[in-house]
Amino acid sequence: MLGIVPSASLLGVDGHAVTVEVHITKGLPSFTVVGLPDTSCREARDRVRAALQSSGCQWPMQRVTVNLAPPTVRKVGSGLDLAIAVAMLVASGQVQQPQVGSRAFLGELGLDGTVRGVAGTICLIDATGDGPLVLSADGVDEARLVGTRVLHPVRALREVVACLRGEAPWPVPGPALDPPPPPGLPDLAEVRGQPVARFALEVAAAGGHHLLMFGPPGSGKTMLAARLPGLLPPLDDRQALETTRIHSAAGLTIPRGALVRHPPFRSPHHGASSVALVGGGTALMRPGEISAAANGVLFLDELAEFAPHVLDALRQPLEEGVVRVARAAATVAYPARFLLVGAMNPCPCGYGSQPGGCRCTDSARVRYQRRVSGPLLDRFDLRVEVGRPRVEDLLGHDRGESSAAVAARVIEARDLAVMRGVRTNAELPIDELDAVAPLAEDAASLLEGALRSGRLSARGLHRVRRVARTIADLQGAPHQLTSTHVALALGLRVDASAVISDPQALAG
Amino acid sequence: MTAPDRHRAGAAIVLAGLPGMGPRRLAALLDAWGPIEALARVASGRIERLELSDGTPLLAEMPLDRGDTLRRAWADAASSADPVAAQASHVERGVAVVLHGDPGYPDALAHDIEPPAVLFALGSLEHLDGPRAAIVGTRRCTGAGAGLARELGRDLTAAGVALVSGLALGIDGAAHRGALDVVRGGPGRAAPVGVVGCGLDVVYPERHRDLWDAVAASGVLLSETPLGVRPAAWRFPARNRIIAALADVLVVVESHAVGGSLHTVTEAERRDVPVLAVPGSVRSPAAAGTNQLLAEGCHPARDAADVLVALGLTPAARRPRSDRRRAPDEAGAALLEAFAWEPATLEQLAVRTGASLGSLAVNLEALVAQGWVTVRGGWYERVAP
Repeated sequence: MLGIVPSASLLGVDGHAVTVEVHITKGLPSFTVVGLPDTSCREARDRVRAALQSSGCQWPMQRVTVNLAPPTVRKVGSGLDLAIAVAMLVASGQVQQPQVGSRAFLGELGLDGTVRGVAGTICLIDATGDGPLVLSADGVDEARLVGTRVLHPVRALREVVACLRGEAPWPVPGPALDPPPPPGLPDLAEVRGQPVARFALEVAAAGGHHLLMFGPPGSGKTMLAARLPGLLPPLDDRQALETTRIHSAAGLTIPRGALVRHPPFRSPHHGASSVALVGGGTALMRPGEISAAANGVLFLDELAEFAPHVLDALRQPLEEGVVRVARAAATVAYPARFLLVGAMNPCPCGYGSQPGGCRCTDSARVRYQRRVSGPLLDRFDLRVEVGRPRVEDLLGHDRGESSAAVAARVIEARDLAVMRGVRTNAELPIDELDAVAPLAEDAASLLEGALRSGRLSARGLHRVRRVARTIADLQGAPHQLTSTHVALALGLRVDASAVISDPQALAG
Repeated sequence: MTAPDRHRAGAAIVLAGLPGMGPRRLAALLDAWGPIEALARVASGRIERLELSDGTPLLAEMPLDRGDTLRRAWADAASSADPVAAQASHVERGVAVVLHGDPGYPDALAHDIEPPAVLFALGSLEHLDGPRAAIVGTRRCTGAGAGLARELGRDLTAAGVALVSGLALGIDGAAHRGALDVVRGGPGRAAPVGVVGCGLDVVYPERHRDLWDAVAASGVLLSETPLGVRPAAWRFPARNRIIAALADVLVVVESHAVGGSLHTVTEAERRDVPVLAVPGSVRSPAAAGTNQLLAEGCHPARDAADVLVALGLTPAARRPRSDRRRAPDEAGAALLEAFAWEPATLEQLAVRTGASLGSLAVNLEALVAQGWVTVRGGWYERVAP
């Protein structure tokens, strides 16, 4: 006897159609799963048996073979439980194949027959074919976000059996939930003083420029970074779907009944492994932190405390906006276009950038500087010193400008970038800079001076021009760049090697 | 040089280059037996009963009987070394090797309480004959400190005072650069003297190679280790004692609350060498050590004239230095005032002046271009003429 039921399985952030075939024949009682199942998939046997028995169904004391087709793709996780159970019922004659029809099944089973939601539901919907989809009531809000499939939310296997046998009608989803209120993001108005750091955040948000903050402990680097998502515009439909898919696949909580509409803010601890950061962990090929931060902000606090090879793994995704992870089982590409914000102490004691201020030994500084590679530091267009806020600012009642006011300027500046044919100014191609960021005479001579004195490299020149373009956009000067814009761009680009690597101030 | 002299020098070179051979051990060995017999005894391990100048045994300083290990290491190194070749290589590189007590050993060091037993010199030892002032300070200096060290080096050299320093990063190097600015400027100039803690062919720090070569060419470089000896942390205090011994007066330009320059001060005080300290801002960590010295009664060194007076020389009337920099505009001048001669970040300046970031950045860039302000990392600093 044979039972065939369609379902789907997750790999990376993509769903793959899986056909569950169960064959029951005479022989010693056994249960075999074939078709590249991973451990959690193979364990389905115990869950399915208990769930069937607690739902008043029979477990056939015969030889059972479960095939998960196509056999070349790895099947991961517990989402196939429900489909296996239904195929078992068909194969053992407790339900007839025509009663299943074209329905697909998605869900994990509890031992008591409960049907539970599956991580990555939103990614799996399209892979389950065109027929009605039976899935956990938990996942129905998420499933409703994409497409117009007929959905049957169920809570228990017993319910599914009753519907299949025609004893009850298939349930239909209730009315859609109202989108949840936007989460309260931390507001920039809470930051006291610190005009340079605030401005750097605004420029980073407007131009998509990666930002690195140097500063002693307690200077508020983390507080500043957490305010960046509030300055970014809400995600458009495509970005929202992409981010929601990634968050769903990564098992993160997503808003009930709505796409992720706000730029995510991910702040992995510095103990993170490169797999945790880049993705590809377990057979599930889970997306990593940098993908979870896609279309939002990836904040790396204590940048120098991350393992050097972990940081180097960031370089390719920073360039391409996509991270490709190859494992023996599969190769997966995850979206990874994010705004990188780093924060670090200039040296172990934290005061190393101030002339004459450092208290570290030379060897401690050398060890510290080896931890962050020059090429990575180079990717930060904006590098600023963040000092401790003044006591009078902390205790005063003057609130800074609010996030909403800054975000309005950011949206206008971003619109200008879109008109130039790029998402943000940070992506402006070099050969178009002369056309879209022409330099006034005084601005050109300022840059020439910086180049001649060695403060600026050729690569740095382009980056400064892009940042100056963003500053000009923010200040309502959409055409020529003046010396003010260029001087500000230079001021927001601290020489990282001077901050980190050099124990000496100015030796004559 | 006669053949026996060459042999003596070669043996001294080999002894001075043995692992763990510090100035006191070397002095004890050479004083007891002279270089040739000392080398033979070291090679065969017969050095048991020797004591250092303060009465402690030569090799029993280490816990857990490191003495025996060291004696064996010395014996191995000494018996395989070739004194003649060692001496020849020093001659070839132009390095003079002078033993304490020999003619040609500089008077400036001969009567010191801990004179180097063997002195290696690149350049002419005659440069040690005139008045000498040592300038030392932290490697992690401010731009203002480096500027002042350079000015002192320049003015003292021009006044005929030989500048002694350690060629380290920061203050030391800046002072020597000042000396080199004027050393060829005319009659009456003194030559720079560099004292280093490693072999004269091992340039340390590597970034000061140009300085190293220039000091050797126009003055003299001194060391108490033979060619090829790498710098080691324990050699720098020994180097500092030579700087203190050579100085007629010691000037500390900037020093943190703890640091090598304060060790040089201790060595100077053991030798009754007057110590002067440059006053710094009480907020500057790089001036904590110097300000403490002043609090303890050191004389302040505000300029070269103060140092010359301490040397018993008459300072020339101070001429205002010509400043060739273009005068800053009104906004630039106001911004310079806001610095108050302390390093500041863009943010601090913005808070201090209340100016908009844009105009502040433009004015700062103009001051940088005109040479009134330097920028390093995120810190801006006002520069003296």
